[in-house]
Amino acid sequence: MHATIQKPIDEIIGYLEPGEKVFIVGCDNCAAKCHSGGEPETEEMAERLKKKGVNVVGWCVPQPKGISLCKLSNTKKVLQEEYGEETKQADSFLILACGQGIHTVMDATDGEMVHPGCDTIFGGETVTDDFITEFCSLCGDCIVEDTGGLCPVTLCAKSLLNGPCGGAKDGKCEVDRTRDCGWQLIYDRLKALGKLDKMEKYVPPKNNSRWSRPRSLTMAGKEATFRSLAGDCTISRQD
Amino acid sequence: MSKLREKLESGKFVVTGEIGPPKGANIDVCLHDAEILRDYTTAINVTDLQSAVLRIGSLAVSSKLVERHLEPIYQLTCRDRNRLALQSDLLSAWALGIENVLCLTGDHPIMGDHTEAKPVYDFDSVQLLKAASTLNQGHDVSGHELDSSPGFFLGAVVTPGAEPLEPQIIKMKKKIEAGAKFFQTQAIYEPDKFESFIKQVERFNVPVIAGIVILKSAAMARFMNDNVAGITVPENIIGEMSETPKEDRKKKAVEITARIIRQVRPLCQGVHIMPLGWDELVPDIIKESEAQ
Repeated sequence: MHATIQKPIDEIIGYLEPGEKVFIVGCDNCAAKCHSGGEPETEEMAERLKKKGVNVVGWCVPQPKGISLCKLSNTKKVLQEEYGEETKQADSFLILACGQGIHTVMDATDGEMVHPGCDTIFGGETVTDDFITEFCSLCGDCIVEDTGGLCPVTLCAKSLLNGPCGGAKDGKCEVDRTRDCGWQLIYDRLKALGKLDKMEKYVPPKNNSRWSRPRSLTMAGKEATFRSLAGDCTISRQD
Repeated sequence: MSKLREKLESGKFVVTGEIGPPKGANIDVCLHDAEILRDYTTAINVTDLQSAVLRIGSLAVSSKLVERHLEPIYQLTCRDRNRLALQSDLLSAWALGIENVLCLTGDHPIMGDHTEAKPVYDFDSVQLLKAASTLNQGHDVSGHELDSSPGFFLGAVVTPGAEPLEPQIIKMKKKIEAGAKFFQTQAIYEPDKFESFIKQVERFNVPVIAGIVILKSAAMARFMNDNVAGITVPENIIGEMSETPKEDRKKKAVEITARIIRQVRPLCQGVHIMPLGWDELVPDIIKESEAQ
């Protein structure tokens, strides 16, 4: 999931021209889990902005329940048909969702003006209803087979691939003593699994061209193609 | 040929020193520090933006040492350079007459004075050692041939006081396989612990140079104990320091440092003295410890 946090309300108001008519769009998937753009937060944002004198012409969180704003076909239908009357009046759209959602609204409204209502902060695991944390950096070149499923690119502050630096103290990272050293976690886990020999294996440098941006994924039948600066990588589910 | 390589390969005991390039445009002070070390060290480490604080670069200062017929150990970290810059700086170093390279991860930018800097870490220290070894063999890391190759003598670091120690030892082995020919350690204040570390790494058969940081005060010891990973200054040493009046502290520092050197000497193949500004004490420390 894409974790998001709302921008400060004054920053959002600063984006708007005097009298600008705004339609607010939330997301019922990730932003709802982050309490940054689900139904309660989107409705609340409409009220907060109105109180501060902003001309809010409407708001919605595209349904059905749990659907992502970034599913373009659904968002387009909702904004252009279900909420067509309100969205036609709008000068701009304020998006309470991730950066993908912002772009989806641009596509869904045929290029209308958009404002970011959130910062997109990371891709994470929803550990509990009120805690989300990051275990994957979306690098496109997964190496967790040799680290017991724990990603050093994400869990180590320096993204080291071949073991810890000398900076951990009492199992905590030198950059933040409240945070576990990623390599301590990997070491403990491999040891518990009886697979410490995996840590002895040399891990080559990452292929950062698979981490180039923007990347795309195309699906066709039993095939999927990942496009990055590393070239097209097509995987078949045939065998 | 590198005197450091020559001595270590022939089994001799070495003393290495360390200078830190200044934060400013004038390198006279650090070259003066290097001059103090001239007669007492085989080679001098030049730190690479130590503690992630912006300073003059280690390549420039290492080159200045070469000009003065002093032998540098050029410290190169992965923090600020991608693989193109790392390899280019290595080739530049060779062209400037630098042979010894200490390959390090580097302190995270958040520890220094440019906390908003992008940490690079395109390589880690093991990958950097492997890259330098690859250059030595006449290729870059992408497999392209070089028109001529360097002949670096490569070193790495290890923290004998790390807890747990096992991951450090696993990484040390990987560093050796990647081309490390010598190790310099984090500061040693507990020779007993160091001995048990040495027993675990003897089988690697690679020279270990024990890190020695001159202790300036009890406050410094407590600060390191609380904040620096892998360093524990024992209470008896802290006590010795705190009982010493300020004017006698330098004398006491020489005594303590020389004693630690005498204790670790039979266990390893050298000592790496990090004076942290008290460079003028190094001659007395060397004499008193009979390290040379």
